[in-house]
Amino acid sequence: MLNEWFKTKKPHKLPPRTQAASTAAAPRKYDAIVVGAGPSGASAACFMARDGLDVLLLERGPFPGAKTCGGAAVIAEQIHELFPNFWEECRYERIVTRLDYWWLNDDSAVTAGFTSGRLAAAPYNRLSVKRKNFYSWLAAKAVSAGATLLLGHTVDDVLLDHGRTVGVHVSPPQNTTFLADIVILADGANSLLAERAGLNSSVTAKNLSLYAKETIALPPETIEERFNLPPGQGAAIGLIGYPTAGFNGTGSIHLFRDGVNINAGMSVSDFAAGGFGPGDLLERIKKHPRIQPLLAGGVTAEYGAAMIPEGGYHAIPPLVHPGLLIAGDAASLVNGTQGINLAMWSGFYAAKAAFEAKKSRDFSARKLSLYRTLLDESFILQNMRANAKAAALQRDRPYLFDLYSRMANEAAYQMARAYPMPMNAKRKFIWHKVTSLQPVGKIAADLWQVLKVVKG
Amino acid sequence: MTSTAAKVSLIEFRPDDDWQHIVIADQEECRRCPDKNCLRVCPAGVFAWDNHPGHPVLVRYKQCVECGACRLACPQGAIEFSYPRGGYGVVFHQG
Ligand SMILES: Cc1cc2nc3c(=O)[nH]c(=O)nc-3n(C[C@H](O)[C@H](O)[C@H](O)COP(=O)(O)OP(=O)(O)OC[C@H]3O[C@@H](n4cnc5c(N)ncnc54)[C@H](O)[C@@H]3O)c2cc1C
Ligand code: SF4
Ligand code: SF4
Repeated sequence: MLNEWFKTKKPHKLPPRTQAASTAAAPRKYDAIVVGAGPSGASAACFMARDGLDVLLLERGPFPGAKTCGGAAVIAEQIHELFPNFWEECRYERIVTRLDYWWLNDDSAVTAGFTSGRLAAAPYNRLSVKRKNFYSWLAAKAVSAGATLLLGHTVDDVLLDHGRTVGVHVSPPQNTTFLADIVILADGANSLLAERAGLNSSVTAKNLSLYAKETIALPPETIEERFNLPPGQGAAIGLIGYPTAGFNGTGSIHLFRDGVNINAGMSVSDFAAGGFGPGDLLERIKKHPRIQPLLAGGVTAEYGAAMIPEGGYHAIPPLVHPGLLIAGDAASLVNGTQGINLAMWSGFYAAKAAFEAKKSRDFSARKLSLYRTLLDESFILQNMRANAKAAALQRDRPYLFDLYSRMANEAAYQMARAYPMPMNAKRKFIWHKVTSLQPVGKIAADLWQVLKVVKG
Repeated sequence: MTSTAAKVSLIEFRPDDDWQHIVIADQEECRRCPDKNCLRVCPAGVFAWDNHPGHPVLVRYKQCVECGACRLACPQGAIEFSYPRGGYGVVFHQG
């Protein structure tokens, strides 16, 4: 199985390069340049440096993680495979032992969830993290493996020579050029570089979703009491239906040690059609009667917004070009609530392909296509392919989340009530109540579509 | 806390006084633009207009959180978006 191929390969380091006396005029040349020190870029840089490549990692923020916000819970089990026992080095917030979905109506919620103390044992299922801590830890891993990290460097152009990528240009104040045999674009959801180079046409208002987030400070004991958690443990709660005011979008709640991170959003095109912004959704959701008491007395510590590429499998652009690979969010590798772990694994696969290319001194798209092959055989693309139809279903039936959330709440409400009527009559009554929201024929058609997707 | 302005005031920005990273290339487009998506979609209230026909749409770029949504939401493609120069712009601390 190719997927396991890199593990069975003998570790092989390239001999250290003898540094040529640098001439002032010629730009410095590296084996590889990585644009963006997010989870995908820092992982790619780390694994290439470990293999002995001379790597430059460029980040536009003053520190890694300064430019992104939202969420976040990372899937610890998958990251553990790349960075064993990473939780011993990286500051995390809480061990997630509760996974919930809340289907919200205007005034109620139907909830489904799973809680287990077993999730509190290493290698953990999910850990909540602040981006600044997680990104900085990962970038430090790349640096200690030998990569050069330059902060405050915004790349504004990819340099081409006869159709092959040969380097990048950094905007002022540096206004400089770096050369390399391989460039890995890991510049995130809003990948201006791939788009400008004509390599990604799927960055559209439909494929990109906009989320606003708020971090609300609360004492740890209050958080544990309100969310019914033992000390140090946390929850990840998906919010469906009501948060997005009739559109298909979602919200989520993540718990930090001393704060609640809450976000909500949907596709940019739905915002444009709806005539409101993600800040409005966030305000709406904060006032929901099930959520307001959870946040009461909290002080807003930070507000922000960011985009997620939610176009799914069919929005993935071509990822391999002569001398260039695209990884992480820039490659649209997001699946449901998972982004960070896919970004890291795609960075890892990109590093493996770059190393093979370097060894054979062949940087053609054909040689580098090992990256795509590894992705194809990995959980990343297999899961995204399996979910491709679900993404299409949401697009074709934009009312699904909101409507069925309403129906579930209506049914639950009526069932909870005790009318002075026989059971059979009550069942009929509830059926009429629920089907007044959506005709039976349409429910059946929706159900059929959903079943087709679930069956695959 | 509910108003966008109050929330934006909590964010750390390192503004670049010498270079504006978001510009409206052609205000003619804005004059003809019926929906003015930018005014509502932007999560940080960067775009402002005084509701007077003929008046320009203002771009308060120093409070931009660099999400990149405005350029996708503008039906006219009138927004020229690039990232701030290295080291400038929004700085998130809270994840
Ligand atoms: C609100 C929200 C909640 C989320 N919650 C979760 C969650 O709970 N779990 C999860 O797994 N995922 C979550 N995600 C998704 C996750 O954030 C992304 O999938 C992940 O960050 C992608 O990593 P990346 O390295 O590809 O890109 P990014 O994390 O966006 O990193 C890109 C980096 O490149 C830098 N950069 C960009 N352009 C340039 C340039 N021109 N020059 C130099 N540097 C540049 C940026 O500053 C940034 O540091 C969430 C996203 C959002 C918006
Ligand atoms: S949406 Fe575009 S064209 Fe319309 S007002 Fe805003 S910037 Fe101008
Ligand atoms: S990038 Fe985002 S925050 Fe900045 S102006 Fe555009 S929509 Fe507003």
